[in-house]
Amino acid sequence: MKYQLSRKISHYCFILPAFLIFISVMIFPVFFSFVLGFTQWKGYGEMRFVGFDNYIRMFQDPVFHIALRNNILIVLISVFGQIPLGMLLAYMLHRKMVKKSNVFEVLIFLPITISSVIIAQLWNRMFSPVGILPALVRTITGNKDYIITIVENKDLAIIPIMFVLLWQHTSLYMVIFLANLQRIPNSFIEAAQLEGAGEGTIFLKIIMPILGYVIFINSILAIAGSFKSFDLIYSMSGGGPAHYTEVIAVYMYNTTFVHQNYGYGSALSIIIIGFIVLSLLLTRGVSKIFKVE
Amino acid sequence: METPLLRKAPLNWRIAAYFLMVAFAVLTIFPLVWLGYSSLKPHAEIVLHPLRLPQHPSLNNYFRAWELGNLGTALLNSFIYTIVATVATLFLSLAAAFGIVKFHFKSSAFFTAAFAVGLMITVHAVIIPLFLAEVKVGIINRRIGVILPYIAFDLPMSVMIAISYIRGIPDALIESAEMDGAKYRHIFWAMIVPLSTPVIATMVILSFLRHWNEFLFVFIFTTKASMKSLPVAITLFAGRNNIEYGMQYAALVIGIIPMIIFYFFFHAQLIKGFGEGALKE
Repeated sequence: MKYQLSRKISHYCFILPAFLIFISVMIFPVFFSFVLGFTQWKGYGEMRFVGFDNYIRMFQDPVFHIALRNNILIVLISVFGQIPLGMLLAYMLHRKMVKKSNVFEVLIFLPITISSVIIAQLWNRMFSPVGILPALVRTITGNKDYIITIVENKDLAIIPIMFVLLWQHTSLYMVIFLANLQRIPNSFIEAAQLEGAGEGTIFLKIIMPILGYVIFINSILAIAGSFKSFDLIYSMSGGGPAHYTEVIAVYMYNTTFVHQNYGYGSALSIIIIGFIVLSLLLTRGVSKIFKVE
Repeated sequence: METPLLRKAPLNWRIAAYFLMVAFAVLTIFPLVWLGYSSLKPHAEIVLHPLRLPQHPSLNNYFRAWELGNLGTALLNSFIYTIVATVATLFLSLAAAFGIVKFHFKSSAFFTAAFAVGLMITVHAVIIPLFLAEVKVGIINRRIGVILPYIAFDLPMSVMIAISYIRGIPDALIESAEMDGAKYRHIFWAMIVPLSTPVIATMVILSFLRHWNEFLFVFIFTTKASMKSLPVAITLFAGRNNIEYGMQYAALVIGIIPMIIFYFFFHAQLIKGFGEGALKE
């Protein structure tokens, strides 16, 4: 008995230090955010409970609509851009379609180590009037006054950001797919080649179904990541000009810490978690229907 | 294993492969090279000839950016935050995983589930209450106020990786040490930690990268320049439009170089860690 008790105490002694930090910094604040979401509060003075007002306001808030649209666009570019492209690159590397494939792998993966905020600054300078991209266009076309105007267009301003996101994250999925491809025995591909299957057939009919579960996991990562995306966009545009490139996380930051609206800001942050949980359930549902697990 | 049976991919696939790979590689290298040589040019030359190589390369921009942007302090802070948080996360998560996996109590399932939920929580969902709490406790603008959230947000992933590794260490090893009268803390330090070396390497490299590039906590929880980390200091410095382009570029290069050096030494481990990390969830 005494032995069991001391074992139990040791068990908790090992877990509790990590668990207490985790609970107090992550779990407890989430509940507090949830409560704050039902209030109107400037960070000082009186805190007023307003029920669902913040959430109702969201429905009517044009900026929230733009942010939601942009978030959905980012989910789309992640799931239908980064993942398929990453998978294709991984397959090409795995089949050694290029010489020095490991050199390409290392080069393509390099941006993952650079902080998003610095990547944002770098690409901003690429797009800027004194940046390299307009300069290249000027040199090639001979049009001396060319500048990139897309960032001032209210419907298109999000495109450069999506491009940078695509460039930055595709390699992450490439590496994950590559690690998984290496677990597939070569005999699968050999057998298909003997049957006379072409490269495209092998990729679509053999490799993709085997990697179904990995595609599913990556989709969850991509969707959750898309709703979390903050650093790059905040640093590239801050949500501007005139909220065109706002995403929910950036809007939440601006609402809370710039405009001191803690209640509405908290409601927005709860919505982010809501979308992540929802997309997780949706992805799980879809995967059940197609039985990828 | 490469077998002679496996036929080479057809030409059109190989051409497409070269096209894609070269495009991605160029999009990575070209901006960095351009940034690198532009940072050696004075402001006027950058504005007039964005593409041209520097006529009289000079490190002037670097000295001034270093001084004006407080980058030395920021670099030191980045090292302090990253190293303390990485070491702390490592031992906390190894201990927690040991406790969860090797004692076979019912509560282990609860702890595992709790840490798994943590994977879904975003920085933004806790930042407001955390900010308010830190103000109340009085750790805003102090290093501990940055390091604690760093650790907490790294724990879910690190605990998951540690659990899946420590599960593979045979129970019999631990039981026999117990028979010989070893205390659990001795078992942890003398067996679990040394046996986990392969996964420790991966955990440290992934943690280091996450902590080094963390932005929001430092950005919001510190207002003093003396507390900023490198990414935050550079964003604040390079984000101002009224300063000279040359200095902005130099600051960005200073932010990128440590990570390129890091990547140069650890890319194999990093690629392996990222590739396998995602399988374990």
